[in-house]
Order: sequence, then C-alpha cells, then structure tokens
Amino acid sequence: MINLTQAPYDKQLRIVEIQGGHGVRRRLLSLGFHKNHIIELDSRSILKGPILVRDLSSDTSVALGRGIAQKIMVEIIGEKE
Amino acid sequence: MAKKNNFPDIVFIGQPNSGKSTLFNAIAGYKAETSNFAGTTVEHAHSKVSFKGNLLNIIDLPGTYSLNPSDEVEKVALRHLFVEKPDLVVNVIDASILGRSLEMTLELIELGYPLVVALNMVDLAEKKGIEVDIEKLESLLGVPVIPTIATRGRGIKELLDAVLTVLHENKRPKPINWSKDVEDNIVELEKLIPADFPIVANKRFTAVKMIETERLVFNKMLMEINPSLKKSLDEVRGELEARHNTPAYEVIAAERHHLAFKIFEESCQVTRRKKIGWQKRADDIIMHPLLGYVILLGVFLAFFVVIFKVGNPLEELLLGPLNGLKEYLAVHLGNGLLFHLSEGLIQGIGGGAAIVLPYFVPLLFMMSLLEDIGYLARASFLMDTFMHRIGLHGNSVSPFILGFGCNVPAVISTRILGSRRDRIITTLLIPFVPCSARTTIILALIAFYLGPFWALGFYVFNIFLLGVLGRILSFFFKEPSPGLILEIPSLKLPSLKNMARKTFIHLKAFIKFAWPILIAGSVVLAIMQYFQLDKYVNIALSPLVEKALGLPQELGVTLVFGFLRKELSLVMMLQALGVDYHYLMNAITYQQMVIFVVFISFFIPCLSTVAIIWKEIGRKIALLSVALNTAVAVVISLVIRLILKL
Repeated sequence: MINLTQAPYDKQLRIVEIQGGHGVRRRLLSLGFHKNHIIELDSRSILKGPILVRDLSSDTSVALGRGIAQKIMVEIIGEKE
Repeated sequence: MAKKNNFPDIVFIGQPNSGKSTLFNAIAGYKAETSNFAGTTVEHAHSKVSFKGNLLNIIDLPGTYSLNPSDEVEKVALRHLFVEKPDLVVNVIDASILGRSLEMTLELIELGYPLVVALNMVDLAEKKGIEVDIEKLESLLGVPVIPTIATRGRGIKELLDAVLTVLHENKRPKPINWSKDVEDNIVELEKLIPADFPIVANKRFTAVKMIETERLVFNKMLMEINPSLKKSLDEVRGELEARHNTPAYEVIAAERHHLAFKIFEESCQVTRRKKIGWQKRADDIIMHPLLGYVILLGVFLAFFVVIFKVGNPLEELLLGPLNGLKEYLAVHLGNGLLFHLSEGLIQGIGGGAAIVLPYFVPLLFMMSLLEDIGYLARASFLMDTFMHRIGLHGNSVSPFILGFGCNVPAVISTRILGSRRDRIITTLLIPFVPCSARTTIILALIAFYLGPFWALGFYVFNIFLLGVLGRILSFFFKEPSPGLILEIPSLKLPSLKNMARKTFIHLKAFIKFAWPILIAGSVVLAIMQYFQLDKYVNIALSPLVEKALGLPQELGVTLVFGFLRKELSLVMMLQALGVDYHYLMNAITYQQMVIFVVFISFFIPCLSTVAIIWKEIGRKIALLSVALNTAVAVVISLVIRLILKL
C-alpha cells in the first residue's frame, strides 16, 4: 500500500483507503472518490505541484494538492490500458 | 401549490460544471436578476418565466456537490432549499458522468420535494459511448427525466412541460430503499423523532441527515433540546459503525454511491469508457509539465492583447464625442455651478462608458470563454505550485486573473475559496493586481512617454511584489491551508450565445453597482472644485505629495479622485497641472511621473474595491487593506525616489 504521491504514472491503481479529516473525506466522496475505485494518474507536474487523478469508476478528473494526495492510499492493480 | 407571490418557486440545483447555470440562462434569458440570499453575500440568480400561460419563479442555486454542505456557498444554498421550501426542484445532472451525478439526485429524492431531472449534456455522453435509456432511468428513479443540451437550447420546452405536469399533480418522489440493515436503522431513528422536532422536509430525510451530520455544534444543540433523541442517535450511529467498521456518514455515502451506480448500470449502455480522442490529446498538451506553462503564458499574453486591441480604439472612439460635449457645455453654460455640475455628471457617466466599458466588456467575454472551455480550472492546476510558494493554492488563481479586469468582481469571486484564511490573504493581495483602470494609466503614461518595455518592467515588478507580499501575509496567517481539491471538468467547445449571456449578466451587475458610485463621486468633486475646496485638500496632502514624494502640490487632489476611480486620477492630473496630454512633460519630470504612477497604482484600493471588501469579508480586513496598500505605496515610492535620486 502506497500513497498517491508515491504511485507510478503508468499503472492502474485501486483506492484502498482515504485518510484525513472529515472535511477532506466528505469532499472527496462527493466528488466521486470512493474506496475500491480504480484510478489513474494523468499528468506529472513539475516542482512538487498538484497531482491530476482520474477516477475511472466515476469518470471524473480531480487535481489534488500533495498534502491531500498523501492521504489517499492505493495499491497497484495493473498496467494502464 | 400557490403561495406568497402566487406563482410557484422552481429551484435549479446541480453539481458544479453540470451546465446548470447555462440551462438556467437559456430559460431565463436576459431578464434574470441577481440578488443575495437574505442576510448573506451569496448571490443567486432568479427570473420570472412565462410558459404556456403559467408564470414560474425560477431560482438558480450555486452549484453544490451534495446536500452535505462543505463550504460557505453550499451552506447558504442548501439553507435556502431547506427553509424556503420551493414548489419544485429541477436537478440538472451531467449525463456524461451520470453515475456520480445520481448520488445527489438520490439525496433530492430523499428530500421529497416534487422533482424533475434535467439530464444535461446528453450529446457529450453519447460521444463518450454512454447511451441512457431514459424510460428505464425514469422508472428506477420514479421522477421524470428530460434529456437536454443546454448550450444549444435543446430540451427546454420538454423540461418546462414536465415541470408543469409535476407541479399540477403535486407529485412527490418516493425514497428508494437502501440495504436492509441501513434501512432498518433509519426507520428506527425516524420513528423516534418527536412531532415538535424541527424537521427538514420530512422525518426520513431528517433522520438520514442526523446520522450524516458529524458536526459538534449540531450534536451539542441536540443534546440540549432533546437528550433522549441524542442518545438514540448515538446508538444508531454506533450500530452502523460497528457493523460496517467505518464512520456512520461514510456508511450512508457508500449506500448512496452503490445505489447510484446500480441505477446507472441498469439504465445505461456503455460501449466504451474512454475520454474522447481530441479531449485527451488536448489535455495532454495543456497540462504538460513544460508545454503547459508555455501555453499558459501564451494564453495570458493573447488575453491582454485582445482586450487592448478591442478596448483601445473603442475608448478613443468614445472619448472624442465626450470631450466634444464638454467643450460644448463650457461654451454654452459659462463657468458657473451649473457647468461644474454637468461636467461632473458627464465625467461620471462618460468615464464609465468610455474608459471602463471598452476594456471591461472584452475582458468579461474572454473570461467567460476561458471558463466555458474549462481552461480556468486547468490554469489553476498549473499555477498551484507557484501559489504554494506564496502560501496559497491553485484555487486563488482565478480571482487574481479576474483582478486584472476589475478588482471588485475579483474580491467577490474569492467566495470559491474553502477557507477564510485563504480568502483574507487573496483579498488583501487582489488590490495589488493592476486592474484595467490602472493598466490604462500605466499605458497612457509609462508606455507612452518611456516606451513599452518600461511598462512591461512595471508589470514584472508588480507580480514580484505580489509574491513578496503573499509570503509576508502567509507568515501572519499561519493556519495551514486545507490544500487543493479541484475538479477538472472535461474540455468543452464554447457557445457564443452562452458567453454573450454571461457577459451581459456580469455587465449588468457592474452597471448597477459601480457606475452609480462613479457618477455620484464625480458630481461631489465637481462641486468641491467649484467652491475651490480642492485647495484645502492639496494643502492638507502636501506633506505626503510634496515633501515625501517630491511631486507638485497640485497633484494632491488627484489622489482623492484616484480613491474614487483610479482612472480619474489620470484625467485629473492633466486638469490639476493645467496642461494638455501631449505637453505633460513640460510640467513634470520623468522621475516624478514614474513615482506618480507607482503611488497611484498601489495606494488605497479604489472606493468600490474597499466597499466590496467591507461587504464581503468585513470592516477590519477592509481597513487593513487600505493601510497595507498605503504603506506599500509610500515605501516603494520612497525607494524609487532614492534610486532615481530625485
């Protein structure tokens, strides 16, 4: 289990756990980020910028600051299609 | 169904980027009014619409992701929904992300008000390979579902027909049952709610929301008004949490989520689940770690070039007849009070029409273009890194961009920021963003007399200053920022009609709010000049103007004008020095001009900006903003004076 900031860009990932406070968790839930969803990282930003995550299950793209990305735990489940 | 004003209230609600406001605008058209929710600064648009002989009062609520408010705007929007009890709710959802969007639809069904679903962007969904079986979706949800394409005005008639039918039948949706165990807990709690309890919509909805709300305030309040209910609630929550091993609100959220996806899967045929080709390719370039920034720079250069290419000739075109009118009045009215009054009036009306609008209108238009195609969110993503260095994050980017046009809407737009700390810092920084009025001064003085590179240098210095101030401010407001969570909507082709509508609606707000202040200010100053009160102002300000800044004493009064409207100080500078624009350099030196521009640019934000900060954030921050700007303006002017050895 790794957090999103450590995740590779060329793999499909599964959300194992969303940590952090209620506010953040609620926000992510309402944006369609749930446990067990399959996600991919879309763009690599320079200078420790935000991470662009695409949730394949709910088909939404969300930019997450690194502090928030660290709270999303994922596991690698396979190659990107 | 009729109440208070005899025609039914129809509320439009939907998630951000669902096309809700576009649909609202397509229905309400140009007649829409904006007003604040009672006791707040959160705006909503509303309009009376006549359809087949029925008058409907349509209200556009700000976008919310769910009925569990997580920011200030959502809270106000939902309070309206819960307290005002509309006669019907239109839930606008993005068909291309149906599964997620249905979660809020399920919440609205629980809410139990008469409901119609507008399934928007069905064209986009089809392109993505999602085919929705409308009848199946209707039967699963138990409410009418009308496919629409808001940008092209499709489905509006059908939507309003459905609204009338549902209103007529006063049909309320039936809640859809959840898994047995959760359902049992909810029913259990529902039964325990006493008759005199402040119920939202209905007992079931209230029970669900009680379980979902984890807020301390609510729990404490409940403890006081009904300790036994609080005990039962804790028991129900405890049971749910023990059985699912997650917090109770997440159990509910997961239930809704599964139900939404079940409905989605049963009612839709998905042939492929890929981003549309051109969107994927465009996004790969726009958000590329290197190319993305090159494009960002290009977009902003183009943004300003377009605004000036359109604004400049327009301004000159309008200034001509305005000056002609002034000369005509000077000849025919003599030099009496009447002349001064009418000159002030013309200055106010004409200044708005000839100096502000030529830049403001193209700016609004370009802004809505960037917003509509989805570029603003992408710019925020790219800028997040840099914003972090000044203690903010990507969400603050769009208020700053707006600030280049006018600081007033920029301050209003800080509402999108989640935390008060971010709002305060962003609001304090916005007045340092050179608005179109100040850009006019910079171009008319620095670029005209010293060359365009000096003007560019001024901008670079300005942005550098913004960064330094941001760092200093975030040092004082230490609490950590919650970080960026920003949806990146799919790229869309812009609709000219929608952009024109948006521009018009924003413009109307400017005309109603800022213009009257401008006119009144000009008239008051004209009267002051007539009674030669400006002399006293010059004398009073001379320690600052003459001693500290090394400028001619006559420029004192222009600072007062500058406080009313920044661009007025340019006009008044010429008048105060008694020279024509082209002979300005006979009256002052280049160094004096640079210092004048620097001081005018940074000192006190204009009256409208101070007023809006006062209204939006509070008196303390407004006064702080005035003090900060004045202090920075004095310090920088003095430093420049030292460097230029004046």
